[in-house]
Amino acid sequence: MKGFRIVLVLLMIIALPLAASAQKAKTIDELAKMYDSSSCKSCHSEIYAAWEKSHHARPLMGVKGGLMLTPLALKKGEPGSTAFSEESPKKMTIKNFPCFKCHLPQAVISAEDSVAVELAEALIAKDSAKVAKLQITCVVCHNTKAIIHKRELGEPEKGVLYGKKDVASHGDKTYSKVKTSAIMKDSVFCGQCHGLGPNLEFDQPFQCANLYGSYLHAYIPAGGSRTCQECHMAKGDHLIAPNFNDDKQTSELYAKAIDFDVQAYAYEWLRKAATYVPKVVVNVKMKSNAGHRIPDG
Amino acid sequence: MVVTAKASDGKEIGKVEKHYHPQATNCRDTKMKYGAQWKIANLRDTSFQPYKAKDETIEFELPQGVKAADVTVDLFYEAANPDNKYPIHSVTKKVSLDK
Repeated sequence: MKGFRIVLVLLMIIALPLAASAQKAKTIDELAKMYDSSSCKSCHSEIYAAWEKSHHARPLMGVKGGLMLTPLALKKGEPGSTAFSEESPKKMTIKNFPCFKCHLPQAVISAEDSVAVELAEALIAKDSAKVAKLQITCVVCHNTKAIIHKRELGEPEKGVLYGKKDVASHGDKTYSKVKTSAIMKDSVFCGQCHGLGPNLEFDQPFQCANLYGSYLHAYIPAGGSRTCQECHMAKGDHLIAPNFNDDKQTSELYAKAIDFDVQAYAYEWLRKAATYVPKVVVNVKMKSNAGHRIPDG
Repeated sequence: MVVTAKASDGKEIGKVEKHYHPQATNCRDTKMKYGAQWKIANLRDTSFQPYKAKDETIEFELPQGVKAADVTVDLFYEAANPDNKYPIHSVTKKVSLDK
């Protein structure tokens, strides 16, 4: 009997990691399906349509169809390759894509290394359609990233979405309940990804967005009090502008954020007796009303 | 930002560029890096800061015989590469030495 118990315990020890592993996606399609938000569209069509145009819907595509993670997928030593590159795409792992921290947070917790291999191969093959399947979906923000006080509030619950208010009965098969997120209305929610500066927690640091750092250390000390959401998600707009694929809208957004005044005149400067230098003087006064440095991300 | 002065015949008298953005290196050499995967820390930051005014004075000398000019100030945003420009503001002023 004792021997049976020992075998049972050993089996459980072996089985637990296997079970956890089984829950992870092995392919891009599996990962996309795991975080699929297409069912949100039927009831939240306006929000969904805005999100579809947003950079959150194409977090690995860069600006205007680029494949911004390609340098990581290149063969180590090849021109343009990075410290995160490997000898072959087959050797790529989730850890080789530290950008997943923000550009695909679900990959960090829910993907096997085989997803990294498939992505690296897709990037090298310029397979935009495959790369485009990886998105920061509704589920990522409204579940995965919805809780930061995990020691007090626990991990986000399976089958629960988080929003600005509780909804006891949410008409979705997978996510039948909505709970209030303590941070969804606060800038810190966006600050989880639109970051503080260098990402020093990795074995090879890198620096992406500084935006939340600028918000905390420049905008707030200057007396600013608006949240990211108040400016970038007014009336619940899930486009979360700017959308760099929309030139006109992007230009208008920046024009609104930066006051611009130009004064110019010509005169003759007296350098020394009887020596005039004709000059044009242009004075430009600019002031940013944004809640962070421009440019940043 | 690009400030351009042209004579009335369209000939360029002068052109000045100003760049506003954080500039980072990899902390292993002194070359500025572009792309998150290369950058480690900012070395210089000329970007627009919240609620802070940025005042610029640009001067051009007028060539002999030129008494008037058109001055254009273009402010634009560049994303991903310098060829991908988003115009923000463009102002043209006529200036003259004639009273």
